[in-house]
Amino acid sequence: MGDITVCPYCGTGCQMILEIGESSQRVVGYSRSPVNSGKLCIKGYSGLTYNFSSERLKYPLMKENGEFRQISWEQALEISVSKLGDISRKYGPDSIAFQSSAKCTNEENYLMQKLARMVGTNNIDHCARSCHSPTAIGLINTIGAGAATGSIASLEDTETFFVIGTNTTEQHPIIGAKIIKEVKKGKNLVVADPRRIQLAGLASVFLQFRPGSDVALLNSIMNVIVENGWEDADFINSRTEGFSSLKKTVSKYSPKVMEGITGIEPEKVYRAAEMIGNAKPTAILYAMGITQHIHGTENVMNVSNLALLTGNVGKRGSGIFPLRGQNNVQGSSDMGALSEFYPGYVRYDSGKLNNFSRIWGKEAPTQKGLSLSEMFEAAAEGKVKAIYIMGENPLITEASTQTVERGIDNLEFLLVQDIFMTMTAGHADIVLPAASSLEKEGTFTNTERRIQLIKRIYSPPGEARPDWWIIKEIGRRLVGMDDYSSPEDIFSEIGRAIYNYSGATYSNIYPIGKQWPINTDNPDGTEILHSKSFPIGRGKFIPVEYGPPAEQTDDEYDFIMTTGRNYFHFHSGTMSRRTDILERESPEPYAEINTNDSRRLNIKERQIITVESRHGSIKIRAKVTSKIPEGIVFIPFHFSEARVNELVGENYDPISKIPEFKVVAVKVIP
Amino acid sequence: MNYILTDEDMKILFSRIKEEYDTYGTVEKEGDIVYEKVDGFESITFGRSRYAPKEFLIERNENVLNLPVQQKKAVFGVMSCDLKGFYVMDKQILGKDPFYTQRRQNTLFVNFPCNVECEGGFCSSFGGPLLDEFQIQVARDGDDFIVSASKEYEHLFDGFRKTGDEQIRKLRKNFLKNAKQLPVEGIENRIKWDSKLWKKYSSVCISCGACNYSCPTCYCFDLFDQDDGRIREWDSCILSGFTSTSAGNVRKELDERLRQRFYHKFVYYRKSQGEYLCTGCNRCTEDCPVDIDIKEVVTHDYSSE
Repeated sequence: MGDITVCPYCGTGCQMILEIGESSQRVVGYSRSPVNSGKLCIKGYSGLTYNFSSERLKYPLMKENGEFRQISWEQALEISVSKLGDISRKYGPDSIAFQSSAKCTNEENYLMQKLARMVGTNNIDHCARSCHSPTAIGLINTIGAGAATGSIASLEDTETFFVIGTNTTEQHPIIGAKIIKEVKKGKNLVVADPRRIQLAGLASVFLQFRPGSDVALLNSIMNVIVENGWEDADFINSRTEGFSSLKKTVSKYSPKVMEGITGIEPEKVYRAAEMIGNAKPTAILYAMGITQHIHGTENVMNVSNLALLTGNVGKRGSGIFPLRGQNNVQGSSDMGALSEFYPGYVRYDSGKLNNFSRIWGKEAPTQKGLSLSEMFEAAAEGKVKAIYIMGENPLITEASTQTVERGIDNLEFLLVQDIFMTMTAGHADIVLPAASSLEKEGTFTNTERRIQLIKRIYSPPGEARPDWWIIKEIGRRLVGMDDYSSPEDIFSEIGRAIYNYSGATYSNIYPIGKQWPINTDNPDGTEILHSKSFPIGRGKFIPVEYGPPAEQTDDEYDFIMTTGRNYFHFHSGTMSRRTDILERESPEPYAEINTNDSRRLNIKERQIITVESRHGSIKIRAKVTSKIPEGIVFIPFHFSEARVNELVGENYDPISKIPEFKVVAVKVIP
Repeated sequence: MNYILTDEDMKILFSRIKEEYDTYGTVEKEGDIVYEKVDGFESITFGRSRYAPKEFLIERNENVLNLPVQQKKAVFGVMSCDLKGFYVMDKQILGKDPFYTQRRQNTLFVNFPCNVECEGGFCSSFGGPLLDEFQIQVARDGDDFIVSASKEYEHLFDGFRKTGDEQIRKLRKNFLKNAKQLPVEGIENRIKWDSKLWKKYSSVCISCGACNYSCPTCYCFDLFDQDDGRIREWDSCILSGFTSTSAGNVRKELDERLRQRFYHKFVYYRKSQGEYLCTGCNRCTEDCPVDIDIKEVVTHDYSSE
């Protein structure tokens, strides 16, 4: 027997039919899905066997004299609650930090932030900080909602795709495939990326620009559009404000002047601008290439500027598409598992927290909370004494993993719940075994705001329990949280906390999901946002000036390193590295280096080299390729054997606090 | 032998089969037709199943150090193109792969031939859905079921009305009359090693493996050790780790691997086993996220390249 559920990997949220029987197990895409129309990528087909790994955590564990030993759930919960309670009483609620997870359901993220806030702190954050926090903040500033403005299906109406900072066919393969299908029909494709990604080979114009020069590139595109009068004057007049200041700013960024910064010939910028401005509707898709910079929020706002300038918001085929990495990073952000946002993006200092205080029966805290990286810094300084981590592995995924490690080792109490003994869980005092997303019920919200129901297909191993149950048990004992009976029970409370979710029920979102806002004004959900107006009234142009990335090359550190994912693995590899086919395809860490650079440095394919930044050094095999330009190395961050995040410095976007994973000055030693 | 059965007769046939076998069949789930355990003929949905029932014989992953006793299973509603895949596959692995062989011998597939060629499908190019090799084949002619049984299943048909070959011949003729047959014959001689098709495909292929996983004739697997077991798992020849040697994959580039897939289907298997490793089901094309169409490999004009 089987059911329709959602793939546990990326934010596309492909719907799949999963079946398990005594002698049959099937994975196939759900053909009626508006998200993936029955298609899946290799991670969907062959990436699910981690569920059955013998390494799954099966029992609660407690560390004693450096060794873990099995304890009962009752013991684990009692010890955790008494530790957290003691620390909160002794040092105050802000001495505890909570880390939620974009891999968990909306219900679980909602509960995690509710737990933090009922404890009395806004120290609640999660990995969205490291991927799309600039999107949430940037797009809320400019257009009033930090989410994709259109739907995946609406890309069928797109005439020009502008793909910047997303390796779509590898990271969101089914959306990448959608673009390919449209381009095969003759649609325009403009690709901007420092690496020669697969889509670059199909592009009408490929802008292989220097890492960190996004603002300069986007401003030069807008410069050409304004110079040639290709802007959408009607849209600008009727729907936006601040155009004159944008015009003034971009006037300084002629492609000719910018070539020195971006490395792109003016002619190419001109052609790209012409397509984006004239061959409409244009959809702009972006991911970590835009956000993971100290200018991440400015980059996002500049993407928004371009969309507003060309009137490419609010119509089918147009729009801004921040592609979400984790399956539920849209949802976990919607749920308010972010230090500055309560559910539904209500700011902690907005004075509008009454609804939450009322629903939760407890005063919502109004002091500023710590962001993800700040939590570890505060722990290293001794200000944070306990961290409760659900389903995240910051010892691999965070920038400056040395600081993370110092922070974690300085804690009085570390509580981790996960499906595997991750590197981070190995440092915990108590480890709680969780059910995977194929072993529980709940909802995920995908990259196009589609709230989708997930179903329990398999039974969790041993005594592993769903995350919602674990948080609820801790919350009930620690702060008197409600004794929820099911995820559906929690979901109905979410509907009361977030107006944009208020019309969704488990029965009306199954099987194909519905896109928020879904409420009394939009009972069937909303495919295209901002079609008549923006939540903030008029869309705002917020002009952005170019500033260099935090790190520059010099004579010693003469390469720029950029980090990211590859097609076969996912984040810290907790899941993908435990599936045979995926691990076989990509079994070890590697550094991509340009053919000419390798020749100059006398580096052979698969030779072990040292890559050293101003912050750390790793040994890693070289992968020689012409896909990456000279002077740049690319290293995926999945591998604990060579943690590339040891090389990434503590350089943060001052607005969103996202670390600059994409530009690190390094030297390469053969 | 052929029989004419009514709807009521089919229920009786089903219950006779159910006495000997665990019964499975095609049922609708939210618009997609899937295979599930079924208890009666009335639960079965006629129509194109979402996938080939390959897992009944080759599991997605299983421990090969332990050969379990196989339950006898009957599977109703199998599409002829999918069933034909097993007959084609038999030539290579029946009698060699003990898992496949045991399950093959213990599974009764009841195929339901289509009356009209489906959109995209090209089974007519391989003879159409009224097969010569089958176990129990259930064709439909108006309200009648024209059921053909191979010898070992005749005992299930006691008391049913016998008929000749005429209706089957008529159904076959009608099907082929309205179908578009592709010039498959001789493709092994026309296809070209350095055709530009392969690079055209590799420029868009996202290496998802769907073409292999959906294919009713693909049987390749990977082997790896895990704990106390040795697991085999469905594999895809599109992936670079497939049949990797100490020197890596001998087909380093994606275009070479895509070519290998089509050459295996249309050249090597034909030359070694006398048949094409394709039944015209169109599932690879249907599940391909970037619309690589296997029919193009057949119809492409290689002589002009």
